[in-house]
Amino acid sequence: MRYALYTGCTVQTEQYGYEVSVRATMPKLGVELVDMAGTSCCGFPPFGSFNELAWLYSSARNMAIAEGMELPLFALCNGCHLSFTETKHMLEQFPELKAKVNEKLAKEKLSYEGNVQLIHIFELLYDIIGKDKISTALSKSLKGIRFAAHPGCHAIRPSRIGRPDDPENPKKLDDLITWLGAEAMDYPEKVDCCGSSLAVSTGRTTLDIAGEKLKAVKRRGFDGLVTTCPFCFKVYDNKQRAIQATVRESQLEVPIFYYTQLLGLAMGLKQEELGIDLNQSPVDVVLTKIGGA
Amino acid sequence: MKKPSSSKTVSRMNAEACDQCGKCPSACPVAAHIEGFNPRQIIAKVALGKEADLMKSQVIWTCTGCLKCKERCPEEISPYDVILALRRIAIYLELPHPEGYDGVIEAVVETGVVQQPQLVRTRNKERKDRKSMGLPPADKPRDMAAYTQTLREILGEETH
Repeated sequence: MRYALYTGCTVQTEQYGYEVSVRATMPKLGVELVDMAGTSCCGFPPFGSFNELAWLYSSARNMAIAEGMELPLFALCNGCHLSFTETKHMLEQFPELKAKVNEKLAKEKLSYEGNVQLIHIFELLYDIIGKDKISTALSKSLKGIRFAAHPGCHAIRPSRIGRPDDPENPKKLDDLITWLGAEAMDYPEKVDCCGSSLAVSTGRTTLDIAGEKLKAVKRRGFDGLVTTCPFCFKVYDNKQRAIQATVRESQLEVPIFYYTQLLGLAMGLKQEELGIDLNQSPVDVVLTKIGGA
Repeated sequence: MKKPSSSKTVSRMNAEACDQCGKCPSACPVAAHIEGFNPRQIIAKVALGKEADLMKSQVIWTCTGCLKCKERCPEEISPYDVILALRRIAIYLELPHPEGYDGVIEAVVETGVVQQPQLVRTRNKERKDRKSMGLPPADKPRDMAAYTQTLREILGEETH
C-alpha cells in the first residue's frame, strides 16, 4: 500500500504531533508513505472566500503532482481532503473550468487529468487496513478510557459529494477508538463544529464555539477527545487555556489527542515518538491511566 | 479586471426555492453567538435581490463553514455556498473584509503555504521545530517564481 503523503500547511508548519504520529504508525500497518515534492497550500482557506479560480488552481495543482506520482493522494487534513474532493467534483462538472485550470498549470508543466484517487485517514484505517490488521499491530490495550470521537465537519459533510463517514451519525472514528480497547462514548455534540475558521475574523467566537463542545465533553465525564483534524486539534488543544478564560470555567480540562497518537501508544510506542509532548492540554492524566508510555 | 459573473453565481444558488423552514439557523453554530447572523435570513435577502446589504454589513464573513446548513437544507440551497459567492463578489467590489485574510493570502502567494514552519513548545516549555522532531524539511513549489506569478495573474483576472 503506497500513498502520496500530502501534509498541508497547518500540519507541516505547526501540527508536528500529527505528522510524527502518522509517520510512526502507518509503516507498522503496511502503509508506505511517499513524500510529495513541489506541493503548495490546498487553496481553500485563503482563496475559497476570495477567488474561486485561485482555489481550484491551487487544489488541482497538488492533485496534478499526485497524478504524476501515480499514487493515491493521502491528505492528512480534513480541510485539504474536502478541498481536493470539491475541486475534483467541480472540474468534472465544468470542463471549461478544468481547461482554464490546466492552462494555468501548464506554466509549471503540470496537468490535471481528474483520475487522482483521494484517500482520507478514516478510509485508510477503517476501510482499507481494517480491524484485524490494526489489532495484530497492537501490544497494549487502552481499556477503561472513555473518549469522545470528534471527526470534524469536513470529514463528514457535505455528503452529496462523498465524504468518508456519515454526516449525522459518523461511527468510523468511534470504532477505530474501540479497536484500541478504549471506549468511544456517543454524545449529541459529536458532529458540532470547532469554530476554528473564524479565528481569522472573530477569534472570540471561535473560543465560544469550541468551549461549548469542551464543556459538554467535560460534563459528560469523558476522559478526553480524539480527532484527526489539525484545525480542530489546534483549537481544542493548543487554545484550551484561552477557551477556559473565555468561557470562564477553570475546571475545563479536557485531554486532546490525535487518533494516531493513541494508535501509537497502543502499538507500544513512546509518547516522544508520537509528538505527545507537544499536546498542550492536560494529557498526563490519560497517559498515567494507559501506563508505561 | 473583468467583472465577476455575480448574477450567474447567485442565480445558480436557487435562493427562491427556500421555504424558510428554519433548519439552517437551528443547525448553525454561529447564529447562537453572533447577533445578526442567520442563514435563513441571508437566503431570504438573496431571494429578494438584497445581497448588497449583506455584503456591506460584513455579516457574510462570520460563517465558520461547518456545512451543516448545506447538509440539512431540504431544498439543497446551501446557505454556505451562497455566503462564499457573496464574499467573492464583495472582494471584487472592494468592500471591507476581515484584515486577517490579507496576510494569509500574501503568504500563500509568495511562499506556497499559509505560514513558515513554526517553533512550537512542548508541555515542558522546550522549543521544537521540524528537524528536532525528526521530520523532513517542509515542502514547497519547485519553481516558486512561476507559481507566484500564476496566482497573481489569476487574482488579477475574473473571480468566476
